[in-house]
Amino acid sequence: MTSQQKPTPSSPNNRVKLVRTFPRFNVSQRWEHAVLLLCIAILLLTGLPQKYNTTVWSQAIISSPDRLNTIQQIHHITALVLSALVLYHLGKAIYLISRRKLPGDMLPTLQDVKDAWNMFLYLIYIKKQKPPFGKYNFEQKVTYWFLFFSIGIMIISGYVMWFPETITRLLPGGVIPAAIMAHSTEALVTAIFIVLWHFYHVHFERLNLSIFSGWLNEEDMHTYHSLEYNQLVRQPHSDQDPGDMKS
Amino acid sequence: MLKLSPIHKLPGKFLVVGFIILMSLFWFTPSHASEPEQQTEEYCLGCHSNPDLKLTLPSGEELSLYINSDELQTSVHSPNGIECEACHTNITTYPHPAINYQTRRELSRVYYSACQKCHPDNYSRTLDSMHAQAAEAGNLNAPVCTDCHGSHYIHPPSEPRTLIPATCGNCHTQEFTIYQSSVHGNALEQESNPDVPVCTTCHGVHNIHDPRTQQFRVAEPDLCASCHANQEMMAKYGLSADVYSLYSISWHGVDVSVYQARWPTVQHNSAICTDCHGIHNILKPDDPNSSVNPKNLLVTCQKCHPGVGPNWTGAWTGHYKVSLQRTPFLFYVDSFYSIFTPVILWICGIYIALQFIRFMVDRVRRSL
Repeated sequence: MTSQQKPTPSSPNNRVKLVRTFPRFNVSQRWEHAVLLLCIAILLLTGLPQKYNTTVWSQAIISSPDRLNTIQQIHHITALVLSALVLYHLGKAIYLISRRKLPGDMLPTLQDVKDAWNMFLYLIYIKKQKPPFGKYNFEQKVTYWFLFFSIGIMIISGYVMWFPETITRLLPGGVIPAAIMAHSTEALVTAIFIVLWHFYHVHFERLNLSIFSGWLNEEDMHTYHSLEYNQLVRQPHSDQDPGDMKS
Repeated sequence: MLKLSPIHKLPGKFLVVGFIILMSLFWFTPSHASEPEQQTEEYCLGCHSNPDLKLTLPSGEELSLYINSDELQTSVHSPNGIECEACHTNITTYPHPAINYQTRRELSRVYYSACQKCHPDNYSRTLDSMHAQAAEAGNLNAPVCTDCHGSHYIHPPSEPRTLIPATCGNCHTQEFTIYQSSVHGNALEQESNPDVPVCTTCHGVHNIHDPRTQQFRVAEPDLCASCHANQEMMAKYGLSADVYSLYSISWHGVDVSVYQARWPTVQHNSAICTDCHGIHNILKPDDPNSSVNPKNLLVTCQKCHPGVGPNWTGAWTGHYKVSLQRTPFLFYVDSFYSIFTPVILWICGIYIALQFIRFMVDRVRRSL
């Protein structure tokens, strides 16, 4: 069974209320998110002061050439950690594909486009109801795939900037200034995207900590993932856990 | 009546003349008034116009005491009434006080301080200069005023302009020879070009500083920019005036500007103009001997980036605007982001704004 019974702390004058929880992310995914969060935070904190080197806040951080050197080293080490994380993530996906166990519910479908359109109609008061979503709604898929490609661009352009002498033995020299521009611009777009899009959805719209705790309560499941909820509730004895990647 | 008339007119004449004398007193500034009228030149030349007049110093050097009076008249000083005594203040009459300098150099180094009297600003500037430091360190050949300007026959130092490099070249022979064959020196000598830099344009005039310091290094792109960012001047020669602005947003230029603004004394080696183009030996980029000629560019890059391959020079964009022909990769990336960035941010912003509005409206409605 996918759901577990978890007692909430009981109020003194109340009866014990049982809350049904649904697993959403496994341990591996939760760790991956935590490491990714830390990497992106450190990379932005060490990268943006280098990009905006004329500003006062940047100069407060980069106060001396030694400090600049330290910041660049931290940036490089964090980049290596992030690269390892990406390799782990891709490796796991390839392993799951090879064993035909990749759940595939993060893959974009035509339904997502329809959902986005219906959501738009709902937001401009043409439709009364939000479209029902499965395990991952289109907003979450946009978050995943935007960051997937963005991190890809950052990693490739980052290594081009880190080892330009080696890269130009294989590729034309023009890729270096292109990488510099891509790295610097993509970083900013990604930072703004995370703050606008991701922070709104997981902090403001509702505080969604399932990526840290691993589970969602019944009410959130019912409200935000009604398709998945209905599916799980209708087949209570299925031991296949849709959308959960086992590792 | 005839006898009386001059007497009658006298008070009027006295008044006019008296008034003129009175006014002329006000016309003289105090400095002019305190300087004694110089009438010494003629008196001195009585003896010093003799070409054979000379003196042997204790070092064995001969010191000619001959003054060419014709040439003296072409000097900037003599025709303006600044005569012998203005500088030779210790000599007021004949016989002169004894000279106790061992060498000609010692004499020059003492006498040149007379320039200070009328030219205090330029004199004190020279005290800050590289030349003064060299003298303090014991090099008595380091130049003093008279070495560059002359002593008795002083002419405007930049007429003609070619005189300036020639003057510096008296000591800095190697640099002068190299400069003469450079694009700047060549244009100066062949075309008397008024725009090309001479030594003093870059090194300064009296307060010449050591060009090997880190401060000079990080400020050097600005120095080149003082001409090469001048749209009007560069247009005359068909040169781009954007080289500096494009350099300053390039990898090297950003580095240099950070160090210039914040740590000008900290050793740092990001390339400045002269690292690639040369210093005194700057040539046109299409000159086959130029260090930035496409044929030689890789070798020039390898000075700082040892062992890089032939593709490396394609990475250099420091003087070029983004264009499809020259930098296709950069062009595509630039085009992509100029569309992608605003599109993503607008979609994100509008979607979140709509969501926020609906969210707040629903919440308000529920609470009503």
